[in-house]
Amino acid sequence: MKRKRFLAAAMTTMALLLGSAVAGAAEDDFARSWDGHPDFNGIWQAIGTAHWDLEPHGPAAGPPAFGAIGAVPPGQGVVVGGRIPYQDWALDKRAENFANRYTRDPEIKCFLPGVPRFAYLPHPFQVIQGDSKIMLVSGFAAASRTIHMDKDEPEPAPIDSWMGRSHGRWDGDTLVVEAAGFNGESWFDRAGNFASWNLKVTERFTPLGANALMYEATMEDDTVFTRPWIIRMPLYRRLEEDLRILEFKCVEFSEEILYGHLRRDAGEE
Amino acid sequence: MMNVIQRHILTCLCCLLPVVAQGAAIQYVQLAAPAPLQAVDWYTGFMECEPVAGREEAVNCQGLELEFIARPILGGSQGTGIDHLAFSYPDVAAKMAELERVGVGGLGVRLQRYEDGAAWRDVDGFFRVGYIFDPWGTRIELLQDAARTGFHHVHLSAADPAGTLAWYEEAFGGDPGNVTGDLGGLRYDNGWLLVSVHDSAMPAATAGRAIDHLAFSSPALDAELQAMAARDITIVQSPAVPANANSDSRRAFVAGPDGVRIALVEPGWAGVALMQDTGDELSAVNDTFRAPQTPWGEPDLQGVWSGDAAHGIPLERPDDVDASTALSQAEAAARRERGTLQSIWGYEREWRDTTLGYAKNAPLTQVAMIIDPPDGRLPPLTAAAEAARNARGGAPAAPAGPEDLNSWVRCITQGLPNHMLPTVYNNGLQIVQGPGTVAITKEMIHETRVIAIDAAPVDDGIRQWLGNSRGWWEDDALVIETRGFNGRAPFQGSSEDMVLTERFTRISPNLLEYRFTVDDPAVWTQPWTAMFPFVLDNAQYELVEYACHEGNYAMSNILSSARDSERGED
Repeated sequence: MKRKRFLAAAMTTMALLLGSAVAGAAEDDFARSWDGHPDFNGIWQAIGTAHWDLEPHGPAAGPPAFGAIGAVPPGQGVVVGGRIPYQDWALDKRAENFANRYTRDPEIKCFLPGVPRFAYLPHPFQVIQGDSKIMLVSGFAAASRTIHMDKDEPEPAPIDSWMGRSHGRWDGDTLVVEAAGFNGESWFDRAGNFASWNLKVTERFTPLGANALMYEATMEDDTVFTRPWIIRMPLYRRLEEDLRILEFKCVEFSEEILYGHLRRDAGEE
Repeated sequence: MMNVIQRHILTCLCCLLPVVAQGAAIQYVQLAAPAPLQAVDWYTGFMECEPVAGREEAVNCQGLELEFIARPILGGSQGTGIDHLAFSYPDVAAKMAELERVGVGGLGVRLQRYEDGAAWRDVDGFFRVGYIFDPWGTRIELLQDAARTGFHHVHLSAADPAGTLAWYEEAFGGDPGNVTGDLGGLRYDNGWLLVSVHDSAMPAATAGRAIDHLAFSSPALDAELQAMAARDITIVQSPAVPANANSDSRRAFVAGPDGVRIALVEPGWAGVALMQDTGDELSAVNDTFRAPQTPWGEPDLQGVWSGDAAHGIPLERPDDVDASTALSQAEAAARRERGTLQSIWGYEREWRDTTLGYAKNAPLTQVAMIIDPPDGRLPPLTAAAEAARNARGGAPAAPAGPEDLNSWVRCITQGLPNHMLPTVYNNGLQIVQGPGTVAITKEMIHETRVIAIDAAPVDDGIRQWLGNSRGWWEDDALVIETRGFNGRAPFQGSSEDMVLTERFTRISPNLLEYRFTVDDPAVWTQPWTAMFPFVLDNAQYELVEYACHEGNYAMSNILSSARDSERGED
């Protein structure tokens, strides 16, 4: 009974919040959807260097053959507080990942990117905001996420996976997504930052005007980190007319790395 | 997921109902089974039901009549408004052990185990309980209630159990009471009606599912329907004597709460004799159906659809089958058995044992997917395509590298339209819509097409594996036209100039008709069209992540064995 009353109170508060938001719609500087929530439909992309390294980093050389194109541009990082709070053993693991990044990074192998990496890949993704599900679709590796908006509370993932299982809810004008059920194989970036299967990610998508949103993700994983930590960066709406998500079926671009040694002419130059 | 105990506790919200008339009974429960005679055998063999004299389509389970209808099944009972039927046994442990020995093969018994692997469990404040499925997807609870054996209760699933029980009591009587302790329900002459709270959102509609409806007797049918209409209860079907009925009693259907279809039958009801050929039952459902609308006013195709029922239908009509007929249900079942179960029997058995509540759809009876040309065969190739095909002949050489393997083996794509066709598994198709956008995700190797409605075409210089698509609505149908293929994942020899036109039409609440037309003048002398349906399976199907490339050991194995055999030849 107590719980019920609490729920009722919470729902009233939500209704009030929603009501006030709708009432103030004329003053909003972002679009709202048919149900009064922010309308995130469209194509979005991060700008910056989070996909290279979440932490602050200077410029660095890439593979010599790729010259300036393959080099790492500098960036001030997106981790709130600057550094990821790794446990000691995990710092060693990250260093090992980094040393082997040209063969082990899931991105270089065209593996599914995981969460939150999906959001700040150097590729656009499209939001399809329905009435019971929200889909996020990238061209990279044909990756997609289905955010379940129609469940009372997060359900356990049926099976561990690269992209996990995502549940969404609205907190005022913020879309809150809880994602878990990961397989622990994903990296966060090209610098070897990583988590385990124990990872839980809570993402917040908050409108920042018509064409930007603030993306925030809280990582919880007591197998790898000493405490929860947060990344925060804007995502930008792509404004090109008739823009589409084009295929980036990168499997074939990764086959040399994965299977090149098994070619008939392997070793011949 | 809510466990049994929680469910039963929640059911008790309905203990305080007024007492009204007694003497009512549940007339029958109708189950769908593609081959009803086998269902009669199954229920008499395993559930101690008795054949009904003079009727081949029904059994009597210690007071409750089960009637079987010959038609395909649009999914199991679990997750619908009529979740399961319950039977009481003096020794549930022994009964479950007996059923476990039967096994799942053929028309066997599937156990629905608890999370710890146990087949049964003692539920506090209730009984010893275990669950099984019949071969057609009806969920059955076996419980140990010393007070009675045989049919025990029909278990409904409802958003508001108290409201649902009150609804039934007002409509059909029944005696509010407690099955055990404080577990309340409605007692009828031949058993109980119990209600649990549905896990999430609304239960699925029962029509077309394994438990299609339940029926109550109605001595004054017209007056009763009038009273129901006055209560704003939807009359789904007016009173009529069904074709092939075994009596002159009329039957009507009303929409009960929680998507439950309910029949009212006049006294003397004696079921409906089996009809021989119900191959076109699926298309008969939909005469007046209009697709629902999304809240923003587009036709709503959203949900998880399964192509399983269409698996086994060949693209082209086999030489020994006449194009003008449909297969019988038995032939269709045999075709799928040949095509699916034998080739991947290990997979199938594993799934049936481990996938709770999952019932295979009945196989479809379509002779071939191709409907135009009307002979069900691909049209003749052009001379150039014929010459190219002949030139290709010969056994494929061992692959020199990844590029020599096809795009599906490489986990790049199945290509179109192959991507849409059902295969042995992973036939889920998820559709999510936003205003002006439709996202279509196929589970197999995970691919999502994002279709922009009424959008400008993509520049023809951009060639993609799945081409460049744009969509539009024609009445309630989604039409997608795709050009600009890269030609590297051909279908039946198609070229990069193929124009693929797909049409998705929701023809009933549970059926999505899918048609595609291939127009590729460089390859075929005329366009051709194929068709098959997807079946809605929101309640039981959630797409899993088919991460294909990430675990593609086949590539390493194929290439390394090719290298090994070359070394052997040296």
